[in-house]
Amino acid sequence: MAEKLTFWQSKKRTNKIVGWVLYVVAWSGAIIFVIPLIWMISTSFKAPDQIFTIPPKWIPISSVSLEYDTQIKAKKTGTVNITKGEGGIKVVRIKGAVHVVPEVGKVKVYKGEKVSRGTVVGTMPSQGKVRIYENDDIDSNTLIKVLDKKKRVIKEYRVPSGSSIKVKDGDTVKVGQKLATVLPQWKNYVKAWAPEALDETFNRYLFNTIFVTVMGILGVILSSTFVAYGFARFRFPFRDPLFLIMISTMMIPVQVTMIPTFILFKYLGWIDTFAPLIIPTFFGGGAFNIFLMRQFFMTIPYELDDAAKIDGCNYFQIFYIILLPLVKPAIATVAIFGFVYNWNDFLNPLIYLNSSSNYTLALGLQTFTTMYGTDYNLMMAASTIVLLPILIVFFFGQRYFIEGVATSGLKG
Amino acid sequence: METKPKRNKLKMSTLEAIWGYVFLGPWILGMVFFIGGPIIASVILAFCEWDLLTAPKFVGLDNFGKMFFHDPKFWVSLWNTFYYTIFAVPLGIVGSVFVALLMNQKWKTVRVLRTIYYLPSVTAGVASAIIWMWLFNPDFGLINYGLSLFGIKGPLWLASEAWSKPALIFMSLWAVGGNMIIYLAGLQGIPRQLYEAADIDGAGIIHKFRYITIPMLTPVIFFNLIMSIVWSFQIFTQVYVMTGGQGGPADSTLVLVLYIYQHAFKYHHMGYASGLSWMLFIVIMIFTLLQFRFAGGWVHYEGELKK
Repeated sequence: MAEKLTFWQSKKRTNKIVGWVLYVVAWSGAIIFVIPLIWMISTSFKAPDQIFTIPPKWIPISSVSLEYDTQIKAKKTGTVNITKGEGGIKVVRIKGAVHVVPEVGKVKVYKGEKVSRGTVVGTMPSQGKVRIYENDDIDSNTLIKVLDKKKRVIKEYRVPSGSSIKVKDGDTVKVGQKLATVLPQWKNYVKAWAPEALDETFNRYLFNTIFVTVMGILGVILSSTFVAYGFARFRFPFRDPLFLIMISTMMIPVQVTMIPTFILFKYLGWIDTFAPLIIPTFFGGGAFNIFLMRQFFMTIPYELDDAAKIDGCNYFQIFYIILLPLVKPAIATVAIFGFVYNWNDFLNPLIYLNSSSNYTLALGLQTFTTMYGTDYNLMMAASTIVLLPILIVFFFGQRYFIEGVATSGLKG
Repeated sequence: METKPKRNKLKMSTLEAIWGYVFLGPWILGMVFFIGGPIIASVILAFCEWDLLTAPKFVGLDNFGKMFFHDPKFWVSLWNTFYYTIFAVPLGIVGSVFVALLMNQKWKTVRVLRTIYYLPSVTAGVASAIIWMWLFNPDFGLINYGLSLFGIKGPLWLASEAWSKPALIFMSLWAVGGNMIIYLAGLQGIPRQLYEAADIDGAGIIHKFRYITIPMLTPVIFFNLIMSIVWSFQIFTQVYVMTGGQGGPADSTLVLVLYIYQHAFKYHHMGYASGLSWMLFIVIMIFTLLQFRFAGGWVHYEGELKK
């Protein structure tokens, strides 16, 4: 009893226990948080028949037991047709030979084989080689069993694709239980990059997005540093009211200005160009960014300006020779936020860009989903393509994200 | 003799003012052309009818009359936006403060954890909406699979009138990392002496949390609450992507901004859409003012004397 009491009374102990509980909670939460992204990547590599499974499959590798497809039976000895089927991989047996082909396959045909109507009609020589053909869906080690006339297994092979084994007349070749492995489907990315149902490829969207993003960041950096310098370093009438107005514009929903701005740009002939996405960034670069830059300028001692003034610098020179190099970290923060904002922006491109050749990634991706609504593997591949640059920038620029928020968010 | 330095001084300050305005120039122009001008135009448009093809027609209060008395969809969209905000914002704040508290511990792996929690907030957009569509898939989505492990049959989520909004709220919590960083900065700004003094007084974890951490964090929470509500009322991209721009099923996710978008850019009802956008603004302002009104009761400012 006494011991138990000291156990709970001991603050050190309790703190330790609470600490451990929190640690476990933190990691459990982190796992839940990262699952959607892992799930996205996992799905993006799946073959169509791996997507809709219960329980879900995390690693997009599965063994397929390739049994002889009863639907494809040689009508006569040695003749087989491979036509477009329900999907998946087909095994074709042609008198002692096994061909492994994808859904709509091309099987290399050899001497003595017939080909018609783009589908394979094969007759194999009665004695010869069994070939396992190269196929990007098939694991390189394929288990092959060779049976004699009495159905006894005479040989077992693990054959790399593209190689061949010898069989005798009358032998049956059976494909083992674990014949093939469906490997991660890199080709999902190829399909998603150049979607058949869309007019444009992601090349175009990527180029457009990079252009808009780079120009947008440039505009934001140039104008927000410029204006922030004005707010931070000069005394003039109405400075503080103007600053207050600027801060309060953060509260105005963009939807209020969206419609007249759209009409303005329409009259300027800017619809379906990148101008509405880029030009406004050169006029201030957004209240948040000005605010952030101003906070940063405020931390730099005035003595530097004064010293420069004595050396004969004018305000422009003070700005870009003395101060600009000192606010580089803040510029990096603004640039990174600008990158994320422009890369993810959907509403503005949706309003202003009409022709698909002008679409940005966000818009292209949205169009993609309307065309490939259930092909989750392709949708996840396309999403990964769009998110990858953000993830890369995030990992390299983490510091600036966190510093930027720390300097701006708090003092608000 | 005496006036000379004075004149010179005056000249200096005038010069400084001119330079100040030169540097503010880009912002002032932007303010006039992209914010101030459009705001005024938007007010005028709200009292007009305009399809962009024929000349705008002044219709007085007709847009608002229609909105209030003849357009049930307006009320539906207002309700949906309200519903989303009233749950997403408080849950988001509790979630992000909680995560920030966890991330303020001195663990070896805390940097990795921060990265993981922050990451989803930078992926906000079309791609993350698509990921969640897949997670919410009623038959094969991870969420319903997870629920099935506990013997719960998951709802239809985005395909269900009752569950589509909770799904959006649920999804919004994935992005708590953005605010988490703000709170983390706030937590790290709390002076250590306060905790040390509390230790001497023999205060436990819970007391320190209740009487130091939370009060010191309230200004940040207040700022964040205001901004979160402003942003939350503007929810659009997720809904547009997940419902193909429809706001379905049965208008259950028709949020105000989506409704504005439909009127402005699908039906070209520029006047009506402007009226709607002003309603959005007014609702946001009401919420913001209410918060300022009640801030005194719970927001603690350091150096403020209380009696």
